[in-house]
Amino acid sequence: MSTGDGMEKKINLTLKVWRQKGPDKKGKIETYRAEDISTDMSFLEMIDVVNEKLVLEGGDPISFDHDCREGICGMCGAVVNGRAHGPSKGTTLCQLHMRHFSDGDTVVIEPFRSRAFKLVKDLVVDRSAFDKIIQAGGYVSVNTGGVPDANAIPIPQEKADLAMDAAQCIGCGACVASCPNASAMLFVSAKVSQLALLPQGRAEAPTRVINMVKEMDNQLFGNCSNERECEAECPKSISIVNIARLNREFIKAGLLSNEK
Amino acid sequence: MNWVTTFFSTSVGKKILMSITGMSFIGFLVVHLIGNLTIYGGKDYFDSYVDHLHSLGPVLHVFEIGLLTFALIHVLTGAVLTFQNFLSRPVRYQMNRNAGGRTLGSATMPYTGAILLIFLVFHVLHFHFADHTVKTTFEIVTGYFVNPFYAGAYVCVMIVAAFHVSHGFWSAFQTLGINHGKYTPMLKILSLLFACIVAAGFGFLPIYFNMFI
Amino acid sequence: MQLDANVPGGPIESKWDKHRFELKLVNPANKRKFTIIVVGTGLAGASASASLAELGYQVKTFCIQDSPRRAHSIAAQGGINAAKNYQNDGDSIRRLFYDTVKGGDFRSREANVYRLAQVSNTIIDQCVAQGVPFAREYGGLLANRSFGGAQVSRTFYARGQTGQQLLLGAYSALSRQVALKKVQLYTRRDMLDLVMADGKARGIVVRNLINGEIESYSADAVILATGGYGNVFYLSTNAMASNVSASFSAYKKGACFANPCFTQIHPTCIPVHGDYQSKLTLMSESLRNDGRVWVPKKPGDKRKPEDIPESERDYYLENKYPSFGNLVPRDVASRNAKEQCDQGKGVGETGYAVYLDFKDAIKRDGQDVIMRKYGNLFDMYQRITDDDPYKTAMMIYPASHYTMGGLWVDYNLMSTIEGLFVLGEANFSDHGANRLGASALMQGLADGYFIIPYTIGGYLAGTKLNAISTDHADFKSSESAVKSKIRTLLSTNGKRTANDFHRELGTIMWDYCGMARNNDGLKIALSKIQNLKGEFVENVKVSGIDKEFNQNLENAGRVSDFLSFGELMVEDALARQESCGGHFNEGFQTEENEARRDDENFSHVAAWAYQGEGKPPVLHKEPLSFENVKLSQRSYK
Repeated sequence: MSTGDGMEKKINLTLKVWRQKGPDKKGKIETYRAEDISTDMSFLEMIDVVNEKLVLEGGDPISFDHDCREGICGMCGAVVNGRAHGPSKGTTLCQLHMRHFSDGDTVVIEPFRSRAFKLVKDLVVDRSAFDKIIQAGGYVSVNTGGVPDANAIPIPQEKADLAMDAAQCIGCGACVASCPNASAMLFVSAKVSQLALLPQGRAEAPTRVINMVKEMDNQLFGNCSNERECEAECPKSISIVNIARLNREFIKAGLLSNEK
Repeated sequence: MNWVTTFFSTSVGKKILMSITGMSFIGFLVVHLIGNLTIYGGKDYFDSYVDHLHSLGPVLHVFEIGLLTFALIHVLTGAVLTFQNFLSRPVRYQMNRNAGGRTLGSATMPYTGAILLIFLVFHVLHFHFADHTVKTTFEIVTGYFVNPFYAGAYVCVMIVAAFHVSHGFWSAFQTLGINHGKYTPMLKILSLLFACIVAAGFGFLPIYFNMFI
Repeated sequence: MQLDANVPGGPIESKWDKHRFELKLVNPANKRKFTIIVVGTGLAGASASASLAELGYQVKTFCIQDSPRRAHSIAAQGGINAAKNYQNDGDSIRRLFYDTVKGGDFRSREANVYRLAQVSNTIIDQCVAQGVPFAREYGGLLANRSFGGAQVSRTFYARGQTGQQLLLGAYSALSRQVALKKVQLYTRRDMLDLVMADGKARGIVVRNLINGEIESYSADAVILATGGYGNVFYLSTNAMASNVSASFSAYKKGACFANPCFTQIHPTCIPVHGDYQSKLTLMSESLRNDGRVWVPKKPGDKRKPEDIPESERDYYLENKYPSFGNLVPRDVASRNAKEQCDQGKGVGETGYAVYLDFKDAIKRDGQDVIMRKYGNLFDMYQRITDDDPYKTAMMIYPASHYTMGGLWVDYNLMSTIEGLFVLGEANFSDHGANRLGASALMQGLADGYFIIPYTIGGYLAGTKLNAISTDHADFKSSESAVKSKIRTLLSTNGKRTANDFHRELGTIMWDYCGMARNNDGLKIALSKIQNLKGEFVENVKVSGIDKEFNQNLENAGRVSDFLSFGELMVEDALARQESCGGHFNEGFQTEENEARRDDENFSHVAAWAYQGEGKPPVLHKEPLSFENVKLSQRSYK
């Protein structure tokens, strides 16, 4: 369909994929051929093709998480040739298209690696640590009903925009996967920032930031050392400005509020 | 646990410790460098600076003890952070590529830090605990700097320090929550600039002694 | 069976108020004695779980993804409607009600729609209070945009990610209840069966997707918020895991399935580009605010869009519908695109696409303004197609997007099975034969935040429920039925993958039961599906074993339900001998090729009751009466 470069192209690739039956099993890299791959395919569609063949041959198809395939659910993700979600900037794996690869390429595919993300199978990992962090405070404590009119509190457009920049996080875990320390600071800071920027979130800002940081540590993520790999790899291009805001909030909460 | 230990035992708290102590070293480096520049004024000029410094007496000791404490905090916290970070990814990637965030400075922080620590031990032994009754400080310094092996090592370590500082400088601000669209880009430039000043300012001293004296 | 919608009497404005007063209440201290199962964590499921837990009920919430935040509501782009009238442009609850009933081509239940319009405003308030970062004007107040099928600006939005932001809001409320231990969360669980005892819904059987164990959970009531069945077309804008299996298992247990043939084909999707394609991507309908839809006047014109002069372009929507122009409802826009392509005027390699052109908008407002409004959509388009929509016209084509049909529910959102409630896209109630843009989010949240918390209380307070545990014989028989189905799938060992069957089913559905249908085609479809279903039983190949993480097995189970469901859908399309909204039977059209309803014979909800494998389902009709809107031929001219 592309009119950009005219014709659809077909390429052949060698895949080196991490295969591991279960969390406690031994894993290893296995090699597969991906043949006749249209460059208009998405990366996941390319794996589909390999998997269909594997099923028919009686093999075990490669397990990988995916759902919306339009870059918003945050379900997919793998480290492709050493890069979380592959080589394109601001792109989830499902939105990575094969036109970024060349005929004859070898593609190494590994799961997101972190002590906090236990491997489930092959490329599938358990990211429930993220849910735990949100449960520790990533919300505004309002019950349904009894809230003021939506326009009762005006919010400067700039603040709303900054909050939205942070709120775009899809919780995919690429920040953790790409961080040399497997730190979750970008994820945590995105939620802390969003709610800290909005008047609705201010009331609980001190408790929120302290509890979320504690839970993050509790889940055994690494420590942030401002390497900036997370923001470079984030499919939603979330900035480490949010990490600075988290730090600020944390200092304010820890030193100036009564929260412990 | 009281709130102070709770605060500083979190990952962010530990980073804040690194940041504050690191910033104080940056301040120290500035003062130290200014002091060292008096070397270019010759023996008397430099020795009078040293005497002047020593005449501060107890104040100097307070600063020394402060620096030592900060150094211990920086080193120990850094070691804990590095160890934790090492544990946080038990299975490594077969293939790992940078996405463009990391710099040589940021990627090597624990290693450059370790080198600096070793250097500091010798540095303090050589200059601080040297016998100042026999030789003046200027003579002690030149004594080491004319040794080409020592001079070379010193220059290398200063380059290492520059890398450490190139990341540490702006990173310290980021950790304290100081990141602003207007100022952070300047801060990053300043970071590199300061790294160059450290490398050049300190690193040129032995070269000066070897080539010009 | 008599379908009683339980719509309260009185004038439409006060029905909900009156009903809320008449519903029995559960004493606050007693609420914790009731356990409620919620399946699905999209807008409806997450908001219901959170709200019910806040009230004090014990909630067990299930989702198929690894986290409740990933439900497909997250992909909704454009916005959410509410009758706030912040723009002072003449909006009101009555107007939102009217637009929704008219947009649905008069096939929805008036009382439900009116209630939806009534609670719409509170939804916006609730979301803002949760910290949803809606778009704002410079003064700090909320911004609105316009959407198809309405002449007022009533859509609230958060860039092109409104669904994401609303879902994350509901997810955060849910997370708070999980932390308070009021909600027990079960992720990576696939609901495979509904369990009934004494004629009431009392639990579910799920497969734990991590280890393949079959697990049973009991409760006092079950809520399904499992979304729509758009993936029956294989290619759709739905997520890969979106399925009909949960609803279909309830249907097999006696819940009537209403209007399955009402499916929405969204007009602005990125066209299909290959056989390998696994899903279609929607471009938000909001693009039609500024983009102009056109095709070349001359069939087969292969020039690049920018080389075709104005005089040789046919802006067919603007020409045909001067008052709504590019903003006609989705069904009308989709059908017109198909019509143009069928006349050979389609563009692109396949000829199944029309242009959506921003040239004039960019000239008028500047690229910056357009980028701010649609930047992320343009980026997405470029990423997928490798074309730059700032420079050349976008190509779009309709795709399956939403399903108005679903399990039949009464005014309380209870299905024909006592104690089984159905929320969101999974029910049929509010959108009639066509849904207006930005109304799905509204309905999902209305059901979950503001309707079910009241109506489920009425049920629990007024029903005698015996204690039940998962050792009950009904759980055991469900479990063994589910296990035997899995065993069959794994042991067939044929020569085609489940995905392959799914693709073929999708083609049949799209060709014969898609944007336009006719009686002959539907009959062909029926026999083709039956053959395919037969072949599936004999020839499917599923890899691996049951007691492991096995995505191939998950998928095969879903495809097998889609095959059975496809048959029901075609059956329903055949039974409805009229055209209305998304159901366009070519035999029933006006001279201007618009859908021609038959209000005399088909002003009803078609609710299908399962009769057992191999037996034709029985059709029950819930008559629809319109007392507050005048039935008219929809016109957007």
